[in-house]
Amino acid sequence: MQFTETLAPQFLTSMNSKNQLHRTRPWPGLLLPASAGPKTTTTTVMTTTFTSFGDANCMEQLLVHCANAIESNDATLAQQILWVLNNTAPPDGDSNQRLTSGFLRALIARAARNGSCKMLAAVAASNYDINIAPQLLHTHRFSIIELASFVDLTPWHRFGFTAANATILEAVEGYSVVHIVDLSSTHCMQIPTLIDAIANRSVDALPPLVKLTVAHVVEEDGQVPPPPRMLDDISYEELGLKLVSFARSRNVALKFQVVRSSYKDGFSSLIDHLRVQKLLFKENSEALVINCHMMLHYISEEAQLPTALIHDPNNLFDPSALISHRTMFLKALRGLDPTVVVLVEEDADLTASDLVARLRSAFNYLWIPYDTMETFLPKGSKQREWYEADICWKIENVIAQEGAQRVERVEPKGRWVQRMRSASFRGIGFGEEAVTEVKAMLDEHAAGWGLKKEEEDHLVLTWKGHNVVFATAWLPC
Amino acid sequence: MKKRDHQESCSSSYGGGGGGGSSSNGKAAKTCWEDEQDPSGGMDELLAVLGYKVRSSDMADVALKLEQLEMVIGHEDGVSLSQLQNDTVHYNPSDLSAWVQTMLSEINTPLRDPVQSLNGGLDFSDLPDRVSSELTQTHLGFSDDSQYDLSAIPGMAAYPAPPTPPPPPQLQLAAAPNKRMKTSIGASDTNLNVTSSSSSSSSSSAVGGAPESTRPVVLVDSQEVGVRLVHTLLACAEAIQQENLKLAEVLVKHVGMLAMSQAGAMSKVATCFAEALARRIYKIYPQASLDTTSYNDILQMHFYESCPYLKFAHFTANQAILEAFTSASRVHVIDFSLKQGMQWPALMQALALRPGGPPTFRLTGIGPPQPDNTDALQQVGWKLAQLAETIGVKFEFRGYLASDLSDLEPSMLDLRPPEMEAVAVNSIFELHRLLARPGQIDKVLSSIKAMKPKIVTMVEQEANHNGPVFLDRFTEALHYYSSLFDSLEGSGPTVADHDLMMSEFYLGRQICNVVACEGPDRFERHENLAQWRSRMSSSGFAPVHLGSNAFKQASMLLALFAGGDGYRVEENNGCLMLGWHTRPLIATSAWQLAPAVVAAGAH
Repeated sequence: MQFTETLAPQFLTSMNSKNQLHRTRPWPGLLLPASAGPKTTTTTVMTTTFTSFGDANCMEQLLVHCANAIESNDATLAQQILWVLNNTAPPDGDSNQRLTSGFLRALIARAARNGSCKMLAAVAASNYDINIAPQLLHTHRFSIIELASFVDLTPWHRFGFTAANATILEAVEGYSVVHIVDLSSTHCMQIPTLIDAIANRSVDALPPLVKLTVAHVVEEDGQVPPPPRMLDDISYEELGLKLVSFARSRNVALKFQVVRSSYKDGFSSLIDHLRVQKLLFKENSEALVINCHMMLHYISEEAQLPTALIHDPNNLFDPSALISHRTMFLKALRGLDPTVVVLVEEDADLTASDLVARLRSAFNYLWIPYDTMETFLPKGSKQREWYEADICWKIENVIAQEGAQRVERVEPKGRWVQRMRSASFRGIGFGEEAVTEVKAMLDEHAAGWGLKKEEEDHLVLTWKGHNVVFATAWLPC
Repeated sequence: MKKRDHQESCSSSYGGGGGGGSSSNGKAAKTCWEDEQDPSGGMDELLAVLGYKVRSSDMADVALKLEQLEMVIGHEDGVSLSQLQNDTVHYNPSDLSAWVQTMLSEINTPLRDPVQSLNGGLDFSDLPDRVSSELTQTHLGFSDDSQYDLSAIPGMAAYPAPPTPPPPPQLQLAAAPNKRMKTSIGASDTNLNVTSSSSSSSSSSAVGGAPESTRPVVLVDSQEVGVRLVHTLLACAEAIQQENLKLAEVLVKHVGMLAMSQAGAMSKVATCFAEALARRIYKIYPQASLDTTSYNDILQMHFYESCPYLKFAHFTANQAILEAFTSASRVHVIDFSLKQGMQWPALMQALALRPGGPPTFRLTGIGPPQPDNTDALQQVGWKLAQLAETIGVKFEFRGYLASDLSDLEPSMLDLRPPEMEAVAVNSIFELHRLLARPGQIDKVLSSIKAMKPKIVTMVEQEANHNGPVFLDRFTEALHYYSSLFDSLEGSGPTVADHDLMMSEFYLGRQICNVVACEGPDRFERHENLAQWRSRMSSSGFAPVHLGSNAFKQASMLLALFAGGDGYRVEENNGCLMLGWHTRPLIATSAWQLAPAVVAAGAH
């Protein structure tokens, strides 16, 4: 913008040369999807009925630009992009638009958290939902029945359940006591099938005693937002009762125990509980199964000084003393000498410290649930609303939160494999039986779902060829 | 703090108290006083500058009258103020002229400072001489000085130096120095005034004597100056209305003095108005020229950056346009004020992401011819074309140079039938200019109708600065721009200083036009939404309701980034207004051809 050309008065010219320094951008205008940043290939799949390749890519670029503008406090640019996105990504649009809308809300929430946006809270609190409808971020609390049927709608969880159960069943063969520690975000929805399978296997013999220990994730100090808990608090007792009576009906004795624990300290109270249990009961006849279903990513992966060392001046600045809760948890787990550990997680990387990297990564993963939703939930249904609210909660957590409040710290399979190995676990493959069962399960669902066997026989659930969830099984070395 | 300053300035040199101490001008004023000082009289002069209590008997009366004036104006019952006017002025002309000299050198200081600091080249060295050249030379000194002062006003420097104005008659009166007259009486009175007002209104804190206890006193004092400032401004405008230029002159100088002792928006806006009044009194008008047009564009860019008004204008207008274009495969925006094209990237981007693919986007940008004959419009168009290409929008641009919107002929716009191409006519802060010449607005509105637009979006200042009575315009403008300046001040630390300063120049020029100009030169003829509604309706336009979506958008964007919590979006019968606290300041409205007009067009 050549201001100087139009300036006759001398003093204005000098004034203006200053402005030009300031005004390096030619325009508070918009941004160019083609040129900015590396394209991720995963978006190619989004060529579905409504959207085109260009749209998804463009939306992602706009979100990235918006994030950058918000981070650099460039109000003009941020406002422009927000205006565009608000107009092109309605929360009730197609899946791509709804996905973008979720990110948009998260960015707005992030912007609202930094001090320059005093008024937002007031606006949000008023009647005008301005697309930040708070109720959307309030995830639904299911009843047990609701949850069970909800989980069955998609292979998202069922894949892990099926693969894990097959492996567990194999591993506990011959044990008279099976202690299952269920670290799961789905509140034991996997267990009835497992009990059923145990009962079926034991038609000729006495089924083993099943001890089930469940981590009830609690807020440590009331300040950390928990992950979306799918069940009401009071339902845990009910859940135990139902499981016990179901097991009884299958002629299996079940002992149910809930341990209140927090992911914030790496489930230390659960680990302590298990240590005691091990001292008391662990004999050759008791198998210890650790079933980790999309729960471990809540444990912080950020390196920090272990509490024990904080007061030790010699260790304060030794980088090797830095250790994450996630690493500590896996080491502690290994210390329990479990019979088998099953680790099922979403295969994505939402841990980048850089917001834009995280946004790109999340955008290129979370289109999948939106896309799959079209296949199993009718538009406008309550269940769809709940499902989307869960995804939106996740997006908001990844984008708008930082530090201890950011708990959706999903890591890709490769990194988990590394972690398990350095905690002295070795991977075991899934048997043919597991693969067959998973395949049978997938047949009940839409055509886009697929199963992939990756190195070392890890199983990966795919949607239209993209990794969604992985399942791995581990033994102590 | 403020109180202390005030008192210091009573007892020591003036330049230190005015807040302009860092500028060479402040030093000049100081030097001036030092030069003039004699053992007995120097102090008196200072107190005279502080004004007001020069003759306690008279000024108490003036203050009372000013109160009355405010009540009169407040009641809007048009009571004649002639009595006030007759009773008030008893100044000795000779000390007036000394006053003129000193005050004039001070009035523009707040404006001059930034200009000077940016320019660095202005030479103030001759100021003390001129000021101290005493009364026989007052006339010459005054006219030089005024020209000098005005040359520091942005835009003014763009013109050839105006001819020396004829000396106002009152300045030619006999110049008998009479410093004694406003003497130690004034000194004691001034002090007395300060202390009494503070002790009476906040006696508890005054008794305490703790350092904090001075704070309430300060507030009271500064508020009082603020009230006096407004009173004096209004009294000055009233005097102009009554064609009592002699009184007006005294009062406008007094405004300058009072503004010096104020901080923040109040001081800035008062200075702008004082300057505009001075221009009117001395008939030194800015001349509309090509330079000012392009300069105004630049100022507007800064205004765009530093506060949400223009952004709000663009977002709300774009919202209406985008919604009107929903199903069109070819769209055509006719922008009455392309400026730097700031409004269009966002719309283009939104069109690019429209479900079902982007339409072909045509933009006709209208702008004034450039003084250097550069084709600024084409440059803007070229940049927009680049953007369009990157985001995959088919784009056509035509720039249309017109120094006057009423020159616009629909036939020149290469319009296609409405069923082929949806047309939007967009005008941001443009239409009120057409009210300066009779018949222009009607011609343009009928041109718009001939364009058969799907939608007409307009944003205008929400104020009535086009009334027939000068004083009414002045009063309304004073309130309007006070709110605007206040909001600028509240824009927060994220706004760059120079953006803020340039925005104040931008608004200052509007103020100047509203207050100082008349006839066709007065083109800032803002009218409020009600007035535009009736004009648009009677011209065959029907209102288009700006949806709740637009309202939510605007509220959200504002909430996110306005930086202050004083901004308010409100809906007014389908129009959106952005205001500062309770005062709406700009209004966006959207229009379509009334059914009858559409039917008539079909025949």
